[in-house]
Amino acid sequence: MDGIRLDIRFERAEARYAGRTVLQPLDLALSERRIGVIGLNGSGKTTFARMINGLVTPAAGRVTVNGFDTATETESARRQTGFIFQNPQNQIILPILREDIALGLQARKLAKPDVRAAVDAVLSRFGIGHLADRRSHELSGGELQLAALASVMVTEPAILIMDEPTNQLDLKNRRLVVETMQGLNETVIAISHDLELIAGFDRLLLFHEGRLAADGAPAEVIRHYRDIASA
Amino acid sequence: MRTLYVEGRSVLHRMPPRAKLLGLATASIVLFATRSIPLLGMFCVASAAVYLLPRLAPREAFERLRPVLLTIVVVGLFTLLFDSAIEAAVFVLRLTSLMLLAAAVTATTGISAFMEEITRLAMPLERIGLVRAADIGLAVGLVIRFVPEVLARTQAIRDAHHARGLKPRMLTLAVPMIILTLGSADEIAAAIDARGLRGQN
Repeated sequence: MDGIRLDIRFERAEARYAGRTVLQPLDLALSERRIGVIGLNGSGKTTFARMINGLVTPAAGRVTVNGFDTATETESARRQTGFIFQNPQNQIILPILREDIALGLQARKLAKPDVRAAVDAVLSRFGIGHLADRRSHELSGGELQLAALASVMVTEPAILIMDEPTNQLDLKNRRLVVETMQGLNETVIAISHDLELIAGFDRLLLFHEGRLAADGAPAEVIRHYRDIASA
Repeated sequence: MRTLYVEGRSVLHRMPPRAKLLGLATASIVLFATRSIPLLGMFCVASAAVYLLPRLAPREAFERLRPVLLTIVVVGLFTLLFDSAIEAAVFVLRLTSLMLLAAAVTATTGISAFMEEITRLAMPLERIGLVRAADIGLAVGLVIRFVPEVLARTQAIRDAHHARGLKPRMLTLAVPMIILTLGSADEIAAAIDARGLRGQN
């Protein structure tokens, strides 16, 4: 994946919700392999991440992912990005893991043998082949995160957005998810309150009250975040 | 995510989903073609036998039907009060039979098999440009997926009432349940979009 060019651009992109501006006009270009997004609750970080996937379209300005406009070329932009939601339970549509992972490929009208091969490959990639025929409510928090990851990565997006990937996980499951995340070749954008998780990232973005308050190396941005949090 | 599907190898499990759906549709027509109470009674007993084929535990078998059964009883009582005993009996027997048969179909058909079949059945509509067949299949699958979720959520809200020493009331149960369900429906819709599960050519 190292050879794949990543280019996410925000050009005066602004988000509004119910008449209120939740993300002030933002100019930004992202190309790093590991990008962390931090901020207090309600600071605009999830809106920012959702704009990359086209789940939130800009009220003004534009967002492009590898040249595809998320508002007008949504399907192409989405093929570049996978999104793992805060609650993986809501992301898994079908009860049996194998069937759920297959959904994304079936939507692309792949032949059944190809779907089966791709599902087996992604299950094996994330070491969850033994969970293939299990029901999602029988899985632990960490296994659920890996299941959600497999259901997204089966369509081979170049960019993976993770919203609070270690939220509500015990130490064992957290380690499982962190190790898996570290092993990914794809670009990862993680929204997280888990500062330990993102401390080693290439770049951190700090959002505060709907604005980008800091952008740079983790140590410096985390210091800024602590100042805001303690104010 | 709990599911209405029950693992098993009964005759119903082995039947193709299409046969089960067609059987259900035929049964519903036959049920409404007769008003004979003995005939409807026999139909109801036969439906109960079909419902018990997947070998559900008696308590679970009853719990699954309780909300619908309650609705049938309430409407039956109204019919008895405002119409006649015969009308009420016809109504209750018809709907109870249908409920039992439909529950037997959902208990023996996995969501993905359902979706595949509904998608296939909706293909003629896609060919004339009316709908996307896969979207119809997905919508039906989501409805089946949501039923146990809504029931589990209602139970959790009921437990929260008891934990706080409050008596559950219709309004205090319904409002948080609707809000939570709508919130989770939004999230699931976003996940469907993010995963590109609909609207693709």
